[in-house]
Amino acid sequence: MKILIQLALIFGICIAGDIISALLPFAFPGSVISMLLMVFLLLSNLLKEATIYESSNFFLKNMTFFFIPAAVSVMEHTVLLKSIWWQLLLVNLVSLLACFVASSWTVMIVSRLLLHWRKKKHV
Amino acid sequence: MFETIATPLFGITLSLFAYMFGVFVNRKLKNPLANPLIITMVTIITFLVVFDIPFAVYKSGSDIISLFLAPVTAVLSVAIYRQREILKHALVPVISGTLAGSLASLASITWMCNLLDLDPVILGSLLAKSVTTPIAIAITEQFGGIAALTVASTVISGLLGNLLAPVLGKVFFVSDPVAHGVGIGSCSHALGTSKALELGEVQGAMSSIAISLSGICTVLLAPLFF
Repeated sequence: MKILIQLALIFGICIAGDIISALLPFAFPGSVISMLLMVFLLLSNLLKEATIYESSNFFLKNMTFFFIPAAVSVMEHTVLLKSIWWQLLLVNLVSLLACFVASSWTVMIVSRLLLHWRKKKHV
Repeated sequence: MFETIATPLFGITLSLFAYMFGVFVNRKLKNPLANPLIITMVTIITFLVVFDIPFAVYKSGSDIISLFLAPVTAVLSVAIYRQREILKHALVPVISGTLAGSLASLASITWMCNLLDLDPVILGSLLAKSVTTPIAIAITEQFGGIAALTVASTVISGLLGNLLAPVLGKVFFVSDPVAHGVGIGSCSHALGTSKALELGEVQGAMSSIAISLSGICTVLLAPLFF
Protein backbone atom coordinates (compact mmCIF):
# COMPACT_ATOMS: atom_id res chain seq x y z
CA MET A 1 0.00 0.00 0.00
CA LYS A 2 2.85 2.38 0.90
CA ILE A 3 4.36 2.09 -2.59
CA LEU A 4 0.93 2.47 -4.21
CA ILE A 5 0.34 5.73 -2.34
CA GLN A 6 3.80 6.98 -3.38
CA LEU A 7 3.15 6.10 -7.03
CA ALA A 8 -0.29 7.75 -6.90
CA LEU A 9 1.33 10.96 -5.60
CA ILE A 10 4.15 10.98 -8.18
CA PHE A 11 1.85 10.13 -11.11
CA GLY A 12 -0.68 12.70 -9.89
CA ILE A 13 2.02 15.40 -9.93
CA CYS A 14 2.96 14.29 -13.48
CA ILE A 15 -0.65 14.68 -14.64
CA ALA A 16 -0.82 18.10 -12.97
CA GLY A 17 2.37 19.03 -14.88
CA ASP A 18 0.80 17.94 -18.17
CA ILE A 19 -2.35 19.97 -17.48
CA ILE A 20 -0.28 23.08 -16.66
CA SER A 21 1.80 22.51 -19.81
CA ALA A 22 -1.37 22.39 -21.94
CA LEU A 23 -2.64 25.63 -20.39
CA LEU A 24 0.63 27.56 -20.94
CA PRO A 25 0.67 29.91 -23.95
CA PHE A 26 4.18 28.64 -24.97
CA ALA A 27 5.64 25.15 -25.39
CA PHE A 28 7.21 23.71 -22.23
CA PRO A 29 7.42 19.94 -21.53
CA GLY A 30 4.92 18.75 -18.90
CA SER A 31 7.48 16.43 -17.31
CA VAL A 32 9.81 19.37 -16.57
CA ILE A 33 6.89 21.31 -15.06
CA SER A 34 6.12 18.38 -12.78
CA MET A 35 9.80 18.31 -11.75
CA LEU A 36 9.70 22.02 -10.85
CA LEU A 37 6.33 21.56 -9.14
CA MET A 38 7.81 18.77 -7.05
CA VAL A 39 10.91 20.84 -6.12
CA PHE A 40 8.52 23.54 -4.92
CA LEU A 41 6.40 21.05 -2.94
CA LEU A 42 9.52 19.55 -1.30
CA LEU A 43 11.12 22.91 -0.44
CA SER A 44 7.88 24.28 0.98
CA ASN A 45 7.50 21.10 3.07
CA LEU A 46 4.04 20.41 1.61
CA LEU A 47 5.52 17.12 0.43
CA LYS A 48 8.05 15.32 2.63
CA GLU A 49 10.90 13.41 1.03
CA ALA A 50 10.05 10.43 3.27
CA THR A 51 6.51 10.30 1.82
CA ILE A 52 7.84 9.39 -1.64
CA TYR A 53 11.23 7.98 -0.61
CA GLU A 54 11.10 4.34 -1.86
CA SER A 55 9.48 5.08 -5.22
CA SER A 56 11.61 8.11 -6.05
CA ASN A 57 14.73 6.16 -5.08
CA PHE A 58 13.60 3.31 -7.36
CA PHE A 59 13.19 5.67 -10.33
CA LEU A 60 16.47 7.53 -9.65
CA LYS A 61 18.51 4.34 -9.25
CA ASN A 62 17.04 2.59 -12.31
CA MET A 63 16.78 5.69 -14.50
CA THR A 64 18.73 4.15 -17.38
CA PHE A 65 16.20 1.31 -17.78
CA PHE A 66 13.49 3.75 -18.89
CA PHE A 67 15.66 5.03 -21.77
CA ILE A 68 15.91 1.60 -23.40
CA PRO A 69 12.84 1.98 -25.70
CA ALA A 70 14.15 5.27 -27.07
CA ALA A 71 17.62 3.76 -27.62
CA VAL A 72 16.22 0.65 -29.35
CA SER A 73 14.11 2.80 -31.68
CA VAL A 74 17.47 3.75 -33.27
CA MET A 75 17.05 0.53 -35.34
CA GLU A 76 14.20 2.19 -37.20
CA HIS A 77 16.58 4.92 -38.37
CA THR A 78 19.71 2.98 -39.37
CA VAL A 79 19.77 4.45 -42.89
CA LEU A 80 19.74 8.02 -41.55
CA LEU A 81 22.38 7.28 -38.90
CA LYS A 82 24.68 5.59 -41.40
CA SER A 83 24.50 8.61 -43.71
CA ILE A 84 25.47 11.21 -41.06
CA TRP A 85 27.54 9.33 -38.46
CA TRP A 86 30.73 11.44 -38.76
CA GLN A 87 28.78 14.72 -38.75
CA LEU A 88 26.97 13.50 -35.64
CA LEU A 89 30.27 12.73 -33.86
CA LEU A 90 31.81 16.06 -34.89
CA VAL A 91 28.79 18.12 -33.76
CA ASN A 92 28.79 16.25 -30.45
CA LEU A 93 32.49 16.74 -29.78
CA VAL A 94 32.57 20.45 -30.67
CA SER A 95 29.46 21.29 -28.65
CA LEU A 96 30.71 19.24 -25.69
CA LEU A 97 33.94 21.26 -25.56
CA ALA A 98 32.10 24.58 -26.05
CA CYS A 99 29.58 23.74 -23.33
CA PHE A 100 32.21 22.53 -20.84
CA VAL A 101 34.46 25.56 -21.24
CA ALA A 102 31.58 28.08 -21.17
CA SER A 103 29.92 26.62 -18.07
CA SER A 104 32.99 25.89 -15.94
CA TRP A 105 34.73 29.17 -16.74
CA THR A 106 31.53 31.16 -16.06
CA VAL A 107 31.25 29.51 -12.64
CA MET A 108 34.86 30.41 -11.80
CA ILE A 109 34.61 34.00 -13.07
CA VAL A 110 31.24 34.70 -11.38
CA SER A 111 32.30 33.23 -8.02
CA ARG A 112 35.52 35.26 -8.12
CA LEU A 113 33.57 38.43 -8.93
CA LEU A 114 31.13 37.76 -6.06
CA LEU A 115 34.01 37.21 -3.65
CA HIS A 116 35.61 40.44 -4.82
CA TRP A 117 32.37 42.44 -4.31
CA ARG A 118 31.77 40.95 -0.87
CA LYS A 119 35.31 41.90 0.21
CA LYS A 120 34.80 45.47 -1.05
CA LYS A 121 31.59 45.78 0.98
CA HIS A 122 33.42 44.79 4.17
CA VAL A 123 36.23 47.32 3.58
CA MET B 1 2.94 -19.96 -31.20
CA PHE B 2 4.17 -16.50 -32.21
CA GLU B 3 0.78 -14.87 -31.51
CA THR B 4 0.97 -16.11 -27.91
CA ILE B 5 4.04 -13.98 -27.12
CA ALA B 6 2.97 -10.96 -29.18
CA THR B 7 1.68 -9.07 -26.12
CA PRO B 8 3.17 -5.97 -24.46
CA LEU B 9 4.59 -8.29 -21.79
CA PHE B 10 7.12 -9.59 -24.34
CA GLY B 11 8.76 -6.20 -24.94
CA ILE B 12 8.91 -5.43 -21.23
CA THR B 13 10.40 -8.83 -20.33
CA LEU B 14 12.97 -8.66 -23.13
CA SER B 15 13.98 -5.16 -21.95
CA LEU B 16 14.33 -6.35 -18.34
CA PHE B 17 16.52 -9.34 -19.21
CA ALA B 18 18.62 -7.36 -21.69
CA TYR B 19 19.15 -4.61 -19.08
CA MET B 20 20.20 -7.13 -16.44
CA PHE B 21 22.72 -8.48 -18.96
CA GLY B 22 23.91 -4.94 -19.79
CA VAL B 23 24.49 -4.06 -16.14
CA PHE B 24 26.23 -7.40 -15.55
CA VAL B 25 28.66 -6.91 -18.47
CA ASN B 26 29.32 -3.31 -17.40
CA ARG B 27 30.21 -4.43 -13.85
CA LYS B 28 32.49 -7.18 -15.15
CA LEU B 29 34.38 -4.98 -17.62
CA LYS B 30 34.52 -1.77 -15.49
CA ASN B 31 35.10 0.30 -18.62
CA PRO B 32 33.18 3.52 -19.43
CA LEU B 33 32.95 2.32 -23.04
CA ALA B 34 30.98 -0.73 -21.87
CA ASN B 35 27.95 1.47 -21.25
CA PRO B 36 24.96 -0.55 -19.92
CA LEU B 37 22.48 1.32 -22.14
CA ILE B 38 24.48 0.60 -25.30
CA ILE B 39 24.96 -3.08 -24.38
CA THR B 40 21.20 -3.41 -23.66
CA MET B 41 20.30 -1.70 -26.94
CA VAL B 42 22.60 -3.94 -28.99
CA THR B 43 21.32 -7.06 -27.18
CA ILE B 44 17.65 -6.24 -27.88
CA ILE B 45 18.23 -5.29 -31.52
CA THR B 46 20.27 -8.47 -32.09
CA PHE B 47 17.54 -10.58 -30.45
CA LEU B 48 14.79 -9.03 -32.59
CA VAL B 49 16.81 -9.43 -35.80
CA VAL B 50 18.00 -13.00 -35.11
CA PHE B 51 14.53 -14.30 -34.18
CA ASP B 52 12.92 -12.18 -36.90
CA ILE B 53 10.48 -10.50 -34.48
CA PRO B 54 8.68 -7.44 -35.93
CA PHE B 55 9.66 -4.16 -34.27
CA ALA B 56 5.94 -3.42 -33.71
CA VAL B 57 5.67 -6.42 -31.34
CA TYR B 58 8.54 -5.09 -29.22
CA LYS B 59 7.17 -1.56 -29.43
CA SER B 60 3.80 -2.49 -27.89
CA GLY B 61 5.71 -3.31 -24.69
CA SER B 62 8.40 -0.65 -24.89
CA ASP B 63 5.74 2.07 -25.24
CA ILE B 64 4.60 1.17 -21.74
CA ILE B 65 8.17 1.59 -20.41
CA SER B 66 8.42 4.98 -22.14
CA LEU B 67 5.31 6.15 -20.26
CA PHE B 68 7.44 6.17 -17.11
CA LEU B 69 9.85 8.82 -18.46
CA ALA B 70 7.54 11.49 -17.00
CA PRO B 71 7.74 10.25 -13.37
CA VAL B 72 11.48 9.61 -13.85
CA THR B 73 11.93 13.29 -14.75
CA ALA B 74 9.68 14.40 -11.89
CA VAL B 75 11.74 12.57 -9.26
CA LEU B 76 14.92 14.34 -10.43
CA SER B 77 13.45 16.98 -8.11
CA VAL B 78 14.34 14.73 -5.16
CA ALA B 79 17.99 14.75 -6.32
CA ILE B 80 17.94 18.57 -6.43
CA TYR B 81 16.21 18.75 -3.02
CA ARG B 82 18.95 16.59 -1.47
CA GLN B 83 21.62 19.08 -2.62
CA ARG B 84 19.75 22.19 -1.41
CA GLU B 85 22.43 23.20 1.15
CA ILE B 86 25.32 23.26 -1.33
CA LEU B 87 23.11 24.93 -3.89
CA LYS B 88 22.23 27.75 -1.48
CA HIS B 89 25.91 28.74 -1.11
CA ALA B 90 26.84 28.67 -4.78
CA LEU B 91 23.48 29.51 -6.37
CA VAL B 92 24.47 32.53 -8.49
CA PRO B 93 27.68 31.07 -10.00
CA VAL B 94 26.01 27.71 -10.65
CA ILE B 95 22.98 29.23 -12.39
CA SER B 96 25.20 31.56 -14.48
CA GLY B 97 27.41 28.62 -15.41
CA THR B 98 24.60 26.34 -16.56
CA LEU B 99 23.00 29.23 -18.47
CA ALA B 100 26.29 29.98 -20.27
CA GLY B 101 26.84 26.27 -20.92
CA SER B 102 23.36 25.80 -22.41
CA LEU B 103 23.80 28.86 -24.63
CA ALA B 104 27.24 27.66 -25.81
CA SER B 105 25.86 24.18 -26.49
CA LEU B 106 22.82 25.42 -28.44
CA ALA B 107 24.85 28.00 -30.41
CA SER B 108 27.63 25.56 -31.31
CA ILE B 109 25.14 22.87 -32.40
CA THR B 110 23.25 25.35 -34.60
CA TRP B 111 26.51 26.68 -36.05
CA MET B 112 27.91 23.20 -36.75
CA CYS B 113 24.65 21.98 -38.31
CA ASN B 114 24.59 24.97 -40.66
CA LEU B 115 28.28 24.52 -41.46
CA LEU B 116 27.79 20.83 -42.31
CA ASP B 117 24.58 21.67 -44.20
CA LEU B 118 22.42 19.24 -42.19
CA ASP B 119 18.64 18.97 -42.51
CA PRO B 120 16.53 21.14 -40.11
CA VAL B 121 14.93 17.93 -38.77
CA ILE B 122 18.42 16.83 -37.65
CA LEU B 123 19.09 20.22 -36.03
CA GLY B 124 15.78 19.84 -34.17
CA SER B 125 16.83 16.41 -32.98
CA LEU B 126 20.32 17.50 -31.86
CA LEU B 127 19.65 20.84 -30.12
CA ALA B 128 18.76 19.26 -26.78
CA LYS B 129 21.42 16.54 -26.83
CA SER B 130 23.49 17.96 -23.94
CA VAL B 131 20.68 17.60 -21.38
CA THR B 132 19.23 14.59 -19.63
CA THR B 133 17.32 12.18 -21.89
CA PRO B 134 13.71 12.66 -20.67
CA ILE B 135 13.99 16.44 -21.12
CA ALA B 136 15.90 16.06 -24.42
CA ILE B 137 13.16 13.80 -25.83
CA ALA B 138 10.46 16.24 -24.74
CA ILE B 139 12.25 19.12 -26.52
CA THR B 140 12.84 17.08 -29.69
CA GLU B 141 9.16 16.12 -29.84
CA GLN B 142 8.26 19.81 -29.68
CA PHE B 143 10.43 20.51 -32.72
CA GLY B 144 9.16 17.45 -34.63
CA GLY B 145 12.64 15.88 -34.52
CA ILE B 146 13.60 12.20 -34.46
CA ALA B 147 13.69 10.97 -30.84
CA ALA B 148 16.04 8.08 -31.68
CA LEU B 149 18.62 10.50 -33.08
CA THR B 150 18.35 12.59 -29.89
CA VAL B 151 18.90 9.53 -27.73
CA ALA B 152 21.87 8.44 -29.85
CA SER B 153 23.45 11.91 -29.52
CA THR B 154 22.65 12.14 -25.82
CA VAL B 155 24.42 8.83 -25.26
CA ILE B 156 27.42 9.94 -27.39
CA SER B 157 27.66 13.22 -25.41
CA GLY B 158 27.38 11.36 -22.12
CA LEU B 159 30.02 8.82 -23.07
CA LEU B 160 32.41 11.52 -24.34
CA GLY B 161 31.84 13.48 -21.12
CA ASN B 162 32.37 10.39 -19.00
CA LEU B 163 35.64 9.61 -20.80
CA LEU B 164 37.00 13.16 -21.04
CA ALA B 165 35.80 14.67 -17.69
CA PRO B 166 39.11 14.32 -15.78
CA VAL B 167 41.23 15.42 -18.77
CA LEU B 168 39.00 18.42 -19.61
CA GLY B 169 39.53 19.88 -16.13
CA LYS B 170 43.31 19.85 -16.59
CA VAL B 171 43.38 20.98 -20.23
CA PHE B 172 41.14 24.00 -19.58
CA PHE B 173 42.66 24.92 -16.16
CA VAL B 174 39.47 24.27 -14.15
CA SER B 175 40.85 24.09 -10.60
CA ASP B 176 37.58 24.81 -8.73
CA PRO B 177 35.67 21.55 -8.01
CA VAL B 178 32.32 23.41 -8.16
CA ALA B 179 33.13 24.71 -11.65
CA HIS B 180 34.39 21.32 -12.76
CA GLY B 181 31.18 19.63 -11.59
CA VAL B 182 28.91 22.18 -13.26
CA GLY B 183 30.89 21.81 -16.50
CA ILE B 184 30.55 18.03 -16.50
CA GLY B 185 26.83 18.05 -15.66
CA SER B 186 26.02 20.75 -18.22
CA CYS B 187 27.64 19.01 -21.15
CA SER B 188 27.14 15.34 -20.36
CA HIS B 189 24.17 14.92 -17.95
CA ALA B 190 23.84 11.72 -15.86
CA LEU B 191 26.49 9.72 -17.72
CA GLY B 192 29.09 12.41 -17.08
CA THR B 193 27.82 12.84 -13.53
CA SER B 194 28.68 9.24 -12.69
CA LYS B 195 32.32 10.13 -13.47
CA ALA B 196 32.03 13.43 -11.55
CA LEU B 197 30.94 11.42 -8.48
CA GLU B 198 34.17 9.43 -8.78
CA LEU B 199 36.22 12.65 -8.93
CA GLY B 200 34.74 13.94 -5.67
CA GLU B 201 31.60 14.65 -3.63
CA VAL B 202 31.45 18.35 -4.56
CA GLN B 203 31.96 17.60 -8.27
CA GLY B 204 29.24 14.95 -8.10
CA ALA B 205 26.70 17.14 -6.30
CA MET B 206 27.31 20.12 -8.61
CA SER B 207 27.09 17.92 -11.66
CA SER B 208 23.69 16.56 -10.49
CA ILE B 209 22.37 20.08 -9.97
CA ALA B 210 23.69 21.12 -13.39
CA ILE B 211 21.71 18.26 -15.01
CA SER B 212 18.42 19.74 -13.86
CA LEU B 213 19.36 23.41 -14.26
CA SER B 214 20.79 23.02 -17.77
CA GLY B 215 17.66 21.02 -18.64
CA ILE B 216 15.50 23.97 -17.63
CA CYS B 217 17.78 26.50 -19.40
CA THR B 218 17.72 24.44 -22.59
CA VAL B 219 13.91 24.08 -22.50
CA LEU B 220 13.62 27.87 -22.29
CA LEU B 221 16.40 28.77 -24.77
CA ALA B 222 16.10 26.05 -27.44
CA PRO B 223 13.09 27.64 -29.22
CA LEU B 224 15.31 30.69 -29.93
CA PHE B 225 17.64 28.50 -32.02
CA PHE B 226 15.06 26.54 -33.99
